[in-house]
Amino acid sequence: MKILLVEDHPELAKSIASYLVQENYVCEVAPTFDEAREKLVLFTYDVVLLDIMLPDGNGINLLKLLRKEGVESSVIIISAQNALDFKLTGLSEGADDYITKPFPLPELHARIKAIMRRRSPHKNNVVTFLDITADLESLECRVKGKVLNLTKKETNLLLYFINNKGRMLTRQAIAAHLWGDYTDNLDSVDFVYQHVKNLRKKITDAGGQDYISTVYGFGYKLNAPD
Amino acid sequence: MKLNYRYTIAYAVITFFVLSIGFAIVYAALSRSVTQATIGRLEHLNEVVASRLLSSRDSAGLKSRPNVQIRLLPDTLRQPRTVVVRQEWDSALQARVAVVRLTTYPFVSERRYAITSRASVVEPSDVYLTGLVLVFAWTFVFLLALVVILSELLSWRILRPFNATLRGIQQFQLSQKTPIELPRSRTAEFEELNDFLVRMTARAQRDYQGLQEFSENASHELQTPIASIKAKIELLMDSDELAEKQLGLLAAMHDELERLAKINQSLTLLAKLEHYESRPADLTDFSQLVPATEAAFADLAEMKGLTTTQHLAPAVRVPFDASLAQLLLNNLFSNAIRHNVPGGEIRLELSATELLLANTGHAPTAPVEELFGRFKKGNAALDSIGIGLAIVKRISELYGHRVSYDYADGWHRLRVVFAPPVG
Repeated sequence: MKILLVEDHPELAKSIASYLVQENYVCEVAPTFDEAREKLVLFTYDVVLLDIMLPDGNGINLLKLLRKEGVESSVIIISAQNALDFKLTGLSEGADDYITKPFPLPELHARIKAIMRRRSPHKNNVVTFLDITADLESLECRVKGKVLNLTKKETNLLLYFINNKGRMLTRQAIAAHLWGDYTDNLDSVDFVYQHVKNLRKKITDAGGQDYISTVYGFGYKLNAPD
Repeated sequence: MKLNYRYTIAYAVITFFVLSIGFAIVYAALSRSVTQATIGRLEHLNEVVASRLLSSRDSAGLKSRPNVQIRLLPDTLRQPRTVVVRQEWDSALQARVAVVRLTTYPFVSERRYAITSRASVVEPSDVYLTGLVLVFAWTFVFLLALVVILSELLSWRILRPFNATLRGIQQFQLSQKTPIELPRSRTAEFEELNDFLVRMTARAQRDYQGLQEFSENASHELQTPIASIKAKIELLMDSDELAEKQLGLLAAMHDELERLAKINQSLTLLAKLEHYESRPADLTDFSQLVPATEAAFADLAEMKGLTTTQHLAPAVRVPFDASLAQLLLNNLFSNAIRHNVPGGEIRLELSATELLLANTGHAPTAPVEELFGRFKKGNAALDSIGIGLAIVKRISELYGHRVSYDYADGWHRLRVVFAPPVG
């Protein structure tokens, strides 16, 4: 899977790129409008991560150009603009998704995965982590073949864990993923604790093993046992 | 007091004084002219008597002889005429009246005579005075009525540009994009005032916009470095070499950064809302949006053990942009949950005119009206940034809705009174 990251801030670009490489993506970085355009003409990318404020142009214009030229890459806008900007001005028109800075890296990963799934809906609809499986179509989750009775939020949480297995997920990242734009609540992280607790209980009740470990003061991690 | 009332009162006082002085002058002049006219007649009489003396005719036949006294003086010295006015009993009138005596000293046939003639004068008395007072009083009343009516008409006409300017200032908002609109006036002073106001507001607007842009850009520019630091911390967290102590430090940094990002985002949002031009034509169906938002927060409410009761009127459509309405409700709901007590209640009431969101909770520690300000928190212990209500207020103001907040009997009540529909 090939990703083009269009971002002019070198340190942020480096961090995002190294994270994506760890997740087994091929990631190239274009720090300017011109360089991005050149790369898009020459190569094909599955996903373009597009910053709006570029030193030599506006990312939105690049997006329009892409769509005009019939480039089929999916585009996720990553911008410091407020979420409300996108809603009020239709800034993200033509893009597949948008995410506002600062964002948790696992969230970016989840968004990329969701987009890829939308692009090829028939391919591999089941994600697996050891003996846990989740069907993305029916949203049915099983442990050792036994169906888990999960709420929508818990299903969402489990998928987020599986998609980011082996990674630290901060409480804030989980809260942002579960409630998204609904809450700016900093104390909604307390509710994350409740949801994770319920999820773990349901998995162990169904006879599964609790693979989720807690990192105190920080968050959670879905880890295969050593 | 209105300007033209002040003018009218001042004018009434001046008129009163002028009329009083006029009355005094007229009265004095009248009484003087009666005496003067009498003296004139007596002078004529004396001349007639003197001419009779010259022709040696007897004046005894004269009808007015009883009122004339003729004396022969021992010397022939010239003497000026004398006038004596005295109050005397007049038997003919059976009343005390002013009697005028005129004495002239004619030189007839080498001899000096003194001729004194007298006449009673009826001076302007009480009745006369009353008549005069009435005339002046009526004049005063008539003038006053005229002044009141005319000042109302004239001030309406003359002060029209001034009143228009006042209205213009009242409607002016620093955050509006257009310059202040003031009507032209033919009055030099008003024109000067308008010019000054236009220049002053334009400068204030420019400064204000500069400040707005600055804070917006500053917040905006901060987001990318924050994102960069956050991403680096996240990468660091995933490395295996970290001891628990280092992880703890990282966690604290991450939390603080998260907080910083949230504050920054809220400030950018507020700045955005300052610029946002609302279209009151946009309607949002609150009868659908409120329960939908309630459902989105249901799991949070449930985890805190809160019970929610709803009384929602159907088909309540309110002027709001849909995403702004969502933002407003999100802030209200998350407040109602956050500031609640475990096992508490939330009450929702939606009518065609207002939305009431009430929740149980501890008494706020700050005065309730201050909570709409930025970074004001009713409860310092909670980990919120205290900007939610400022956003709620700003969004409501965009559409002319009024937000109020009060606390009584353990209930926090947040009320959004919808602006009456346009047109």
